[in-house]
Amino acid sequence: MRSKGAQISIALVCLILGIMLAVQFRTTASIQASQSDGRVTELTQQLQAVTSERDALAEEVISLRSKLSNFRQTDQALADLQEEVVQANMAAGLMAIEGPGIILTLNDSPLYFQVGENANAYIIHDRDLIFIVNELKASGAEAISINGKRITAMSEIRCAGTTILVNRDRIAPPFEIKVVGNPDMLESGLLMAGGYLEQLKVLGMQIQLQKSEKVEIPAYTGGIKFEYGAPVEFKEKAE
Amino acid sequence: MWLLVVFCLLVGLIIGFSVPVLLPVIYAKYMSIAVLAALDSVFGGIRAYMEDGFDNTIFLSGFIVNMVLAAGLAYLGDQLGVELYLAAVVVFGVRIFQNLGIIRRYLLKKY
Repeated sequence: MRSKGAQISIALVCLILGIMLAVQFRTTASIQASQSDGRVTELTQQLQAVTSERDALAEEVISLRSKLSNFRQTDQALADLQEEVVQANMAAGLMAIEGPGIILTLNDSPLYFQVGENANAYIIHDRDLIFIVNELKASGAEAISINGKRITAMSEIRCAGTTILVNRDRIAPPFEIKVVGNPDMLESGLLMAGGYLEQLKVLGMQIQLQKSEKVEIPAYTGGIKFEYGAPVEFKEKAE
Repeated sequence: MWLLVVFCLLVGLIIGFSVPVLLPVIYAKYMSIAVLAALDSVFGGIRAYMEDGFDNTIFLSGFIVNMVLAAGLAYLGDQLGVELYLAAVVVFGVRIFQNLGIIRRYLLKKY
């Protein structure tokens, strides 16, 4: 049935098919184009995102660096603080100290006192020790101990009956005074003409002065308690 | 006959390319299925024409109904979340190949 109508309808359908094919082809092409446009847009957005991320990271790097330097400064501050603490402990007598210095040994006079004389003149008194310690401090002593008792800022040298109290501990002759400092200075300070040691010598006290390259002075072993005192500038120091 | 088919196809393509009508992207899929259905119908028509079993009514109705049905099936599949248009693609693809094979055999017999 190869009629004319058949040919016409086939031709018509082919025409429509051609139109559809062309439109579909163009649509697909435009979709692909828009997709590639979208790809460009996407890449641009990605680039922007990555760029902003990079900027953020760069800022983070800067802030981290500043933090790091802060930490380093803090570390420095801590180290300084620790050094300060050590020095404070050394000054307070809370740390054992060793170094060049002198060892002074004092003992009561072996002379027998005559009748009518004051026996007190022939023994070492707390006053003597105080004067000697004071003299040593004036001569640049950095640390002093008497019979192993570290002399601190709060240390008392006090007569208590027949004994002497240092850091509330009783000590008895012979008194061994250990001092860290410049040995020559300390010696010359003690042996100064008209000095206290000379007077003691006159009284017949047994005095032995010995310079040493290495004097060991123990730490103060007692407690330190501030019942009434409080630091005034504590906050300022903390900052 | 062949001249007519090719000529009409070319004219259609020219018209399609020259007319500045673009399908919205969301309908492009349905259009592609419809194109597939149309291709199937055309090849089926040519085959029927060569077998002398061509029925104008069947051809035209098949052309239109297949197109609409294929597009509708694709749309329904989209609504249901099932890619039903694949069924249309497979069926039409198979039929196009079958029709082409039959046409080829007829042509071989003829010449």
